[in-house]
Amino acid sequence: MKKPDTINGQELKEMVATATSWLEKSASDIDALNVFPVPDGDTGTNMLLTMRSSVDEAYQTDGSNASLVAQSIAKGALMGARGNSGVILSQIWRGLAQGLANKETFNGIDFADALQQASTMAYRGISNPVEGTILTVVKEASAASKAQAASEDNDILSVMEAAVNAANESVANTPTLLPVLREAGVVDAGGQGLYTILEGALRYLRGEAEQMQFRKPQIIASNIPQMGRLPHIPAVDEVPFGYCTEFLLKGEELNPDTVRTRLKKKGQSLIVVGDENTLRVHIHTEKPGAIINYATSLGTMHQVNIRNMDEQHQDFLEMQKERSLSVDIATLAVVSGDGLSDVFTSLGATYIVPGGQTMNPSTKDLLQGVRAVASDKVIILPNNKNVVPTAEQVQALTEKRIEVVPTVSAPQGIAALLTFDYEADFETNAQLMKEATSTVKTIEITQAVRSTQLNGLSIKKKQTIGLLDGELLAAGNNAIDVLNKILAKIDLERSEIITIYHGADTKPAQAEQVSAHIKEQHPQLQVEVIRGGQPYYNYIVSIE
Amino acid sequence: MTVKIVIVPLTVIFGHESFLDRVTITTDEFYYRLTHDSVWPTTTQPAPSVFADIYDKQAEETEEILAITLSSKMSGTYESALNAKSLITKKCRIEVIDSLTVGMGLGLIVIAAAKQAQSGVKLDELSKWVQRAMSRSHFIVCLDTLKYLAKGGRIGKAKELLGSLLSVKQLLSVKDGELAPLTRFRSQAASIDYLYNFAAGFTNIEEMAVEHTTLPDEADKLTERLGAIYPKENIYRSTVSPVLGTHAGPGALAITVLEAEKK
Repeated sequence: MKKPDTINGQELKEMVATATSWLEKSASDIDALNVFPVPDGDTGTNMLLTMRSSVDEAYQTDGSNASLVAQSIAKGALMGARGNSGVILSQIWRGLAQGLANKETFNGIDFADALQQASTMAYRGISNPVEGTILTVVKEASAASKAQAASEDNDILSVMEAAVNAANESVANTPTLLPVLREAGVVDAGGQGLYTILEGALRYLRGEAEQMQFRKPQIIASNIPQMGRLPHIPAVDEVPFGYCTEFLLKGEELNPDTVRTRLKKKGQSLIVVGDENTLRVHIHTEKPGAIINYATSLGTMHQVNIRNMDEQHQDFLEMQKERSLSVDIATLAVVSGDGLSDVFTSLGATYIVPGGQTMNPSTKDLLQGVRAVASDKVIILPNNKNVVPTAEQVQALTEKRIEVVPTVSAPQGIAALLTFDYEADFETNAQLMKEATSTVKTIEITQAVRSTQLNGLSIKKKQTIGLLDGELLAAGNNAIDVLNKILAKIDLERSEIITIYHGADTKPAQAEQVSAHIKEQHPQLQVEVIRGGQPYYNYIVSIE
Repeated sequence: MTVKIVIVPLTVIFGHESFLDRVTITTDEFYYRLTHDSVWPTTTQPAPSVFADIYDKQAEETEEILAITLSSKMSGTYESALNAKSLITKKCRIEVIDSLTVGMGLGLIVIAAAKQAQSGVKLDELSKWVQRAMSRSHFIVCLDTLKYLAKGGRIGKAKELLGSLLSVKQLLSVKDGELAPLTRFRSQAASIDYLYNFAAGFTNIEEMAVEHTTLPDEADKLTERLGAIYPKENIYRSTVSPVLGTHAGPGALAITVLEAEKK
């Protein structure tokens, strides 16, 4: 195929139609990525519906004027926009259409300019732009295409290639920018959608439309290595998402800025885009009534769509469950502290239920976790004495098979998790894990909440105290002092590794001091310092 | 009859320097560089022409060659050895077998196959014998880190173990030609116990091998200890070759048991 110099309106229509069918092939995969702003799992579908509306509108436009076709695409996108990313996509088309205004045909340089306008327009519609989303992807794709357009190879194909490559990298990088993606181990769904559309367009330009029938778009892998055996599904307990409310508002002299300001405090993920005659509004709100009252005072409402996002979220969790790797045996751990949660996840814990000392999770919390995992055999690591009885209730409430390994500390839980034998069956693993808990000793260091006499120790309020495997053994002036007293009571002959997990309120430098001290006293031991981030305990120390 | 084992070295590459495994670089030199050099080594399989040259050279002395390669899931060596068959100029029967294992897992098979050939077993029968022996060769390794495997893209099914925030010893076996996770330990003593118990679990051991990357003392101690279940002077005790060491990394210890054929 000849290298295309310019694109006319007819080609633009075909390109957008090709890109839309390309997107269609991976829409459901993109749905499964969706965790931001709300994990409701509809991004791919919403973007697809938006694009379809664009294509319909484009094919109703006669002639081959690129500018007119682009405008009809933008109009179709605005009319048909669904969901957050759909609305942002419609802004992108609007910017592109503005950039291509008055152009019968366009070349690589025109396209790069238009993409830049699209990027600007995408940011403009949103009251609170977040990086690591489709916005970052359009921005970086536009920057790359501008750079390409300024070089010698500034034909449309090269410019589009530059945009697609940059979009690919940008999507892979989204988890670095947006923590919720990192936790879920996915790339941004909207960004992936935009990449797929651009890639579809590129393939059209390359003349690959026919081969595309037999291929499928790739979901870009995150550039952060996936931790654990499963995408970590954050435990969400009844955080109300409210209603996803969207509609088209028609009237006269509508002002997007005024509407945006007025609605800003009424919910999240607000997007208001359009012109003085047509506005598209998208908002996540707990009170859709108030939004509708306001909107009807400005004009007439069309395509009103209000969805309960809590229901959507449940559907999404189901979908995640189906898509997550089928693990034969799942492990559910109760952990407090973000650092310790990361440690458990990194060692393959399938699901984390936040909780521990002074914040014991309910049976329901555990049950929710058990339901969320894909496996029907679940090992529960309670990691706290008070959570063990709760965990033992779970079996009565579920069809799944449950084994509780009665770990009473995070180090015990970690030792159990490590013992997981990939070759062994459910019962054997539970047995191995139970045995493993005795291979580790746990020291916990905290402050006394009141003055007391215990185990022959006279303890003052707020004094540093230390427990060995749950038993109060020492009190002292500081952590090092207390740790020394306890270590003196342990036979370290057979020990190899001491791991110090320091708490949320303990500085890393202090933990390093403790570590240096132990190394000095016991040079034969390997000492590791890890941020546990746990509340209440300054240090949790494991000895193995 | 005379049976010869010819080793076709793979290549290990540091930046612009490439070395033939244990021909132009010794294991000592290699492990020194692996642990001191900032350049990360890579490895590459021999080209088919390398095999073809060796086939041709050996064909001057023999009419039958059995080439046994490391797992095709970990290296393209098998493909090279196979493709080279069509490049030879001399007349010689050549069989190529993908051992689906690695290290002394492969080593013990090759040694045992040579013994069979020595006793007069011809190519067709020998090739069948090797196929059967493959299921009797059990290789497990304890790695200090998965970093090297991951970097070299040889992580196989063990990839789910990646990303541990704690330092852990990873026990891996070879399953269907790929590395697969067994379990993990924090302490080295516990992981060595596991290696020992693994070997002690076999009742009819024909051959045994202990190999390491940078742990000669631990390898010696383990060999000594294995004396309780198998004559220790018969245990092959070796250092892992540079090409495999590139992927295993420092601190690796492996054990292979070749079970005796059931009569």
